[in-house]
Amino acid sequence: MAKISIRNVHKNYGALNVLKPFSLEIEDGEFVVLVGPSGCGKSTMLKILAGLEPATGGSIFIGDRDVTDLAPGDRDIAMVFQNYALYPHLTVRQNIGFGLKMRGTPKAEMEQRIEDAARILEVTSYLDRRPKELSGGQRQRVALGRAIVRQPQAFLMDEPLSNLDAKLRVHMRAEIGALHRRIGTTTVYVTHDQIEAMTMAQRVVIMRDGEIQQIAPPDVLFEKPDNLFVAGFIGSPGMNFMEAEVSGGDAPHVRLFEQDVPLEGARPPAGPIIAGLRPEHLSLGAGPVTFTVRPTLVESLGSEKYIYFDAGSQKRVVGHAEDEAARGMIARVDHSGPLAAGEEVTLSFDPARLYLFDAQTEKAIRP
Amino acid sequence: MSHAKMFDLARPSRQHLLGYILLAPAVLLVGFIIVYPLAIAVDLSFQDVRIPRMGRRGEFTLDNYERLFASSEFWMACWVTIKLVAVVTIGSLIVGMSTALLVNNRFRGRTLARLGMALPWAVPEVIAVVIFAWIFDSSFGLMSWLFVVTGITDTMIPWVSSPSAAFWAVAVTMVWKGFPFVSIMVLAGLQSIPADYYNAAKVDGASAAQRFRWITLPLLMPVLGVTLVLVILWVFRDFSIIKVLTEGGPLRTTQTLSIMTYDQAFGFHNFGYASAVGVLTLVISVVASMFMLGRGTKAIY
Amino acid sequence: MTRTFNQSLMLYLGVIATLALILFPIYWLFITAISTSAELSALPPSFWPADAQWEIFARVWEARPIPTWLMNSMIAALGSVALSMVVSVFAGYALSRYQLRGGHALGLFILTAKMLPATLLVIPLFAVFRNLGLIGSMWTLVIAHSTLIVPFATWMLKGYFDTIPRELEQAAMVDGCSPMGAMVRVVLPIATPGLAATALYAFVLSWADYAYARTFLVNAQDNWTANLGITTMKGEYVTDWNEISAAAVFVAVPVIIIYLFLERYLVGGLTAGAEK
Repeated sequence: MAKISIRNVHKNYGALNVLKPFSLEIEDGEFVVLVGPSGCGKSTMLKILAGLEPATGGSIFIGDRDVTDLAPGDRDIAMVFQNYALYPHLTVRQNIGFGLKMRGTPKAEMEQRIEDAARILEVTSYLDRRPKELSGGQRQRVALGRAIVRQPQAFLMDEPLSNLDAKLRVHMRAEIGALHRRIGTTTVYVTHDQIEAMTMAQRVVIMRDGEIQQIAPPDVLFEKPDNLFVAGFIGSPGMNFMEAEVSGGDAPHVRLFEQDVPLEGARPPAGPIIAGLRPEHLSLGAGPVTFTVRPTLVESLGSEKYIYFDAGSQKRVVGHAEDEAARGMIARVDHSGPLAAGEEVTLSFDPARLYLFDAQTEKAIRP
Repeated sequence: MSHAKMFDLARPSRQHLLGYILLAPAVLLVGFIIVYPLAIAVDLSFQDVRIPRMGRRGEFTLDNYERLFASSEFWMACWVTIKLVAVVTIGSLIVGMSTALLVNNRFRGRTLARLGMALPWAVPEVIAVVIFAWIFDSSFGLMSWLFVVTGITDTMIPWVSSPSAAFWAVAVTMVWKGFPFVSIMVLAGLQSIPADYYNAAKVDGASAAQRFRWITLPLLMPVLGVTLVLVILWVFRDFSIIKVLTEGGPLRTTQTLSIMTYDQAFGFHNFGYASAVGVLTLVISVVASMFMLGRGTKAIY
Repeated sequence: MTRTFNQSLMLYLGVIATLALILFPIYWLFITAISTSAELSALPPSFWPADAQWEIFARVWEARPIPTWLMNSMIAALGSVALSMVVSVFAGYALSRYQLRGGHALGLFILTAKMLPATLLVIPLFAVFRNLGLIGSMWTLVIAHSTLIVPFATWMLKGYFDTIPRELEQAAMVDGCSPMGAMVRVVLPIATPGLAATALYAFVLSWADYAYARTFLVNAQDNWTANLGITTMKGEYVTDWNEISAAAVFVAVPVIIIYLFLERYLVGGLTAGAEK
């Protein structure tokens, strides 16, 4: 176990800059998640950490050692891959023990450690099978076994759950979390799934186009996003964004849903602004700011409903949340029983829940 | 196991070096046995030399090429080559595709059938010639007898010594040797077409003929293209079949450019002239295949 | 897919008819060998000899240096395949895994090399070999056959290596292997079917050569390969078809056997590169 120190690591492929200077200090035993959409540079960063790709500049320290140009095998790290990368021509036992064998571990010790790792991951019964005889979940556990058996200073995980089906993913998420609590090794975990990031991480690093957007624990990310991208990326369904004008000088307000909504706390200058509102902060019935809409679609999840409605000219498309309807906004409300689209519905929200973002820089505006 | 290595290829900054190291032997070998000889051949084509002596060079001259373009033998060889390429390619394509389509169905003994259909590929060309030389024998060959018996001709055809018939004897032999390659490639191509495409078409009401025309053929085009080019190149290059069966005769009716190249060098000892023919043949085949593939040259590399 | 009985019948008949037509020449070779010369000069030809001469095989084996010819073909094949495979495996792997400056150029060159007619290359090779005093030696074939094999083998192997995920080597390197170690301990064992297919193809290519053997070994009777030897049995005017057919059977059989055993690997190998 060790700290990991990443200092100004950046990477270019010729003229293409895929990773902007990246700095991060990871504590001993911490579980850090790198998350972001495809192409954001998170896998590249992980490969550089692993030594599978050279950085164009910057340095990396694991513990006290400068590992920047060390071979992957010399960094005392273990890696779990998205496609498991189990050696098909070896048995599970040989797969797990491969790293130990490469390091010349004495046979007796090797056997013992393999058995221990197999027990922790509950793969003992397949030790003598080949990977192709195992299911996806079993293979992933073998891959984890291969990682923990070496007792490395850090684990690097590259989207390990992406190839599993939804139910298995939830289960394995919990298992990996439990594993981390049990063994406590410093872990850097890469994923594109914000749910994995939110549930598993002690700290999250959100990336986009090679650049870090924000580094924070999950709660902080949720409640205090630094910019529009982070606000839209975290949370499902994603935050609703509305273009609005700030006016009113000393008592600033924005015009939303044909009402003047006072802004408490933050004092943005007059002019255009982007206001964000999470779907779960909209409620049925009257409230501090009330308005009525005719939903275009109502999705019922039992005791919860997603209400899709058109906000008129205020809605703005945020490119990052591509799956959300172009003009529609979403409210997530507690409600049991029937609720039809097309019928008028009353929604409200508390203006204190509004997030404000500069229309130009997309940065959050805070009091 | 971390001893300080003098030249540690596992370091991220050095990992790509292994690529160059691994490539080096191939580059060297190919350089010595292909590139260097090729350069010599080109060089020879510009010399007026009958038998080359290393170390002594003739002076640069375009005589060989001039002589080429003026020679009726050369143009005849071009014509024979084109004819042969066309006939053999079409023949191999038809037979190859038919057999592939046939074997693509599920039936008992399918593996055996597949094995059998491509067997001619394994038979060395010289052996194929032995077989077909006898089948096409003028006096007692099976083929002539068949022609007489079925009434196509009255007398036994002297295949190998007849200027017109010899070409067909060569063509048939080449198709027999050449179609298995097409069969194998097309079969692999057929098997890579997802069944869902056919299912969707069936649901849409397409008949078997329509499915073939609109699904099979288009999806097979890339494979067919590659295969076609490779077959054409093979016919251009081939030496054994023609040489042993007809020697390029009678009266040069089966003399392709490839045969002419060889005969000029080792029959008439005109190494310079022969090199010119050979270089030109290579250029023609390269241009022809580039033309056929267009931008897709990467596909067969 | 369910078929009617009629459809099945048509299919089976079609398959059998096609197979019969395709394999007939091989059958005919065999028949020709065991027929008597009298039967051979009779028309209509008999499809099974009344008096099958099985001794022809033993006779030819002794009368002609067939064992020597086969041995020489084998030596040339083993030599050139060994040389070519070593070089091609490394090159194919490098082209698959690494983006190299000039890797693209090499690929294009390999493409051109496949178009190279033996009848062109034989000319300068002859000049060089003569200068080195190698004419008549088996080394000429080991080298010449390699010119046939290396372009195809590299291409096939690259295509095959492309199907093996790179993450396997990455995992091996994280586990402590050097890049070379990862290739040898992880990739090569997995690639065995592809290696086998390529080696088979190489073997067939070498065994099939006639042009080089004829040019370089014609005056070295002891070194004649099987193909070369057989052609000498075909006379300008008269040929003993019994003998030559029997000899041909001996030459064809080894390759056919190898083909039968390794055919399934072959298809994978041939097509691995083609579908990109």
